[in-house]
Amino acid sequence: MEVTFKDVTLSYDGKREILHHLNFTIPEGTLVSILGPSGCGKSTTLMMISGLLAPTSGQIFFGDQDVTKKDALARKVGMVFQNYALYPHLSVLDNIEFPLKMAKVSKKDRKKKAIELAKLVHIDDQLDKKPGALSGGQQQRVAIARALAKEPSLLLLDEPLSNLDARLRIEMRQEIRRIQQETGVTTIFVTHDQDEALHISDHIMVLNQGHIQQFSSAETLYDNPSNLFVAQFIGEPVINTLDITDFAGELDGQIDADILQRTQKVGIRPEALQDHNTVANTLATITTKVTRSEKYGREKNALLEFHGQRLLTTEVQADVTDGQELPLYLQRNGVYLFDKDGVRIFGGDQDA
Amino acid sequence: MLNAKPTIKSTLKALLYLLPMLVISITFSIYPIIKSFIMSFYTKYDFFKDIVSQYGIDNFKFIFADPDFHLAVKNTLIFVVGVVPLTVIISLVIALLLNRIKWLAGFFRTVYFLPFVTSTVAIAQVWHWIYNSDYGLLNYFLGFFGVNAISWLESPKYAMLALIIMSVWKNLGFNIILFLVGLNNINERYYQAAKIDGANAWHQFTNVTIPLLSPITFLVSVNGVIGSFKVFDEIFALFNGTPGPSKSALTIVYYLYQKFYTEWKYGIAAASGVILFFMILLVTVFQLWYSKRHVHY
Repeated sequence: MEVTFKDVTLSYDGKREILHHLNFTIPEGTLVSILGPSGCGKSTTLMMISGLLAPTSGQIFFGDQDVTKKDALARKVGMVFQNYALYPHLSVLDNIEFPLKMAKVSKKDRKKKAIELAKLVHIDDQLDKKPGALSGGQQQRVAIARALAKEPSLLLLDEPLSNLDARLRIEMRQEIRRIQQETGVTTIFVTHDQDEALHISDHIMVLNQGHIQQFSSAETLYDNPSNLFVAQFIGEPVINTLDITDFAGELDGQIDADILQRTQKVGIRPEALQDHNTVANTLATITTKVTRSEKYGREKNALLEFHGQRLLTTEVQADVTDGQELPLYLQRNGVYLFDKDGVRIFGGDQDA
Repeated sequence: MLNAKPTIKSTLKALLYLLPMLVISITFSIYPIIKSFIMSFYTKYDFFKDIVSQYGIDNFKFIFADPDFHLAVKNTLIFVVGVVPLTVIISLVIALLLNRIKWLAGFFRTVYFLPFVTSTVAIAQVWHWIYNSDYGLLNYFLGFFGVNAISWLESPKYAMLALIIMSVWKNLGFNIILFLVGLNNINERYYQAAKIDGANAWHQFTNVTIPLLSPITFLVSVNGVIGSFKVFDEIFALFNGTPGPSKSALTIVYYLYQKFYTEWKYGIAAASGVILFFMILLVTVFQLWYSKRHVHY
């Protein structure tokens, strides 16, 4: 089901606004991530979609139906909580059956449906156990099965992977993607982990301090960040950020003077600092000094000094020694300029 | 060291730590229990010289044949069955209501807790007035509903009911506090999940609150059963040192008290104590067995 927020604002105590005038539409059948740092309001947004929290002002639509005034009971969404919130006194089977029991489905039918779902999430060998006897990953599967039991038109996931270890996290996010594609349910996934969001979603909504920063596909988010926050938040290693005043005219002539005039910050992706010249794509050349170079696994990072500022690059091919001078070629598709409000005024597709 | 093996020295050291409490428990609990078990088999006993000239099971024979003891057992069971479920249900309901209000919650909690810290004798005095057949508040209120004056404390028909009402009221305070603690320990997330799963308020109560509160309910009922089996001071205070009109509130402990302090039949008193001990044990074991299957920790 399509979810639309129209000018939704939320404040807890009437004074402090948590979310400011949110406007967005989540298309039907997609998996959308809400991504942002802690306290940005992403879980709160999810709670408002679920109906557990009511917006202070604005409207929420499911399809073309206004559900703003309806509570969680009436909205009939499926939700997986961060700590799963499985009923500790019920077995796995009973947990999955619970929403069906509440919907007054007959005993036989709900058992059949629950076993079906348990198979979908690969938990059908644990049906008689209590949640306490399951591992984190298994609990999460049960929580997803329970959320799917009443065949919701909307599945909400609140940081479902944050309690899992690194390897399981990768496995489970692929599982969520698989389940979402098999069931076709519109899914909203809240996370603070950009890696998770980038891998799992059709679209990502980046939220910060109660404002939507950007709502687009993962690729667009990385290649065309709309502002400095998104550029800094998305990407690992983090984008290099310099003040325009750190440059001693290296960009002059390469970029329109009036854009440079308005620029305050320069963002350079670590992979856009190459020690080998690819003429067509090179925007400018800068001279840096190597402070340290390190290599782990297939990653090779070099820390550099440029006019007293630190830079990090992943694209040094030659063997370098610490303290050595190194000319670097700034690649056009990884350099962004931001004005004093943090809005991108150069870089990305528009200037490619 | 966490993996140190116990040695004689370390065991002695541990014993030394345990000693203060052990001395107190042995003197005031273990020894009296053993002594009363043995005493229940005294059939010829010189109290003044502390000489036992004969042991036997005559004491048990006596109480099993004594109609007063039969009455005491019956009254005790009626009291337990009357007090415990009512206490559990009423204190749970009040705790649920108190948990809902934000306004003056602390004040009401204190008010409800007061009976627990007030002396039984004082409480009994107040209830004495409430139950007064001519001027009592209870009859006054019942009068509004057209009920004729009931002589609560003088009629054998109503004495037990009067005792049960007072005891339930007296037990409420502490149990409400326990239930409030239990309610606060239930994570709000379970209610949110239940709402999402389509459970209305009643289903949330039966499917989340009741099962997750079961450890507290178990504690309250075991505590209540044990306490109610041992009821004595409420009777003594409410009926001015008698076991109620025509023994209508005679309980096992009251029977024991009479045999011990007024009739000086120590063996019989001890024997009734032993019977009470096994009755409580039986019920508690049953509760523990039941809890294994129905209490969710």
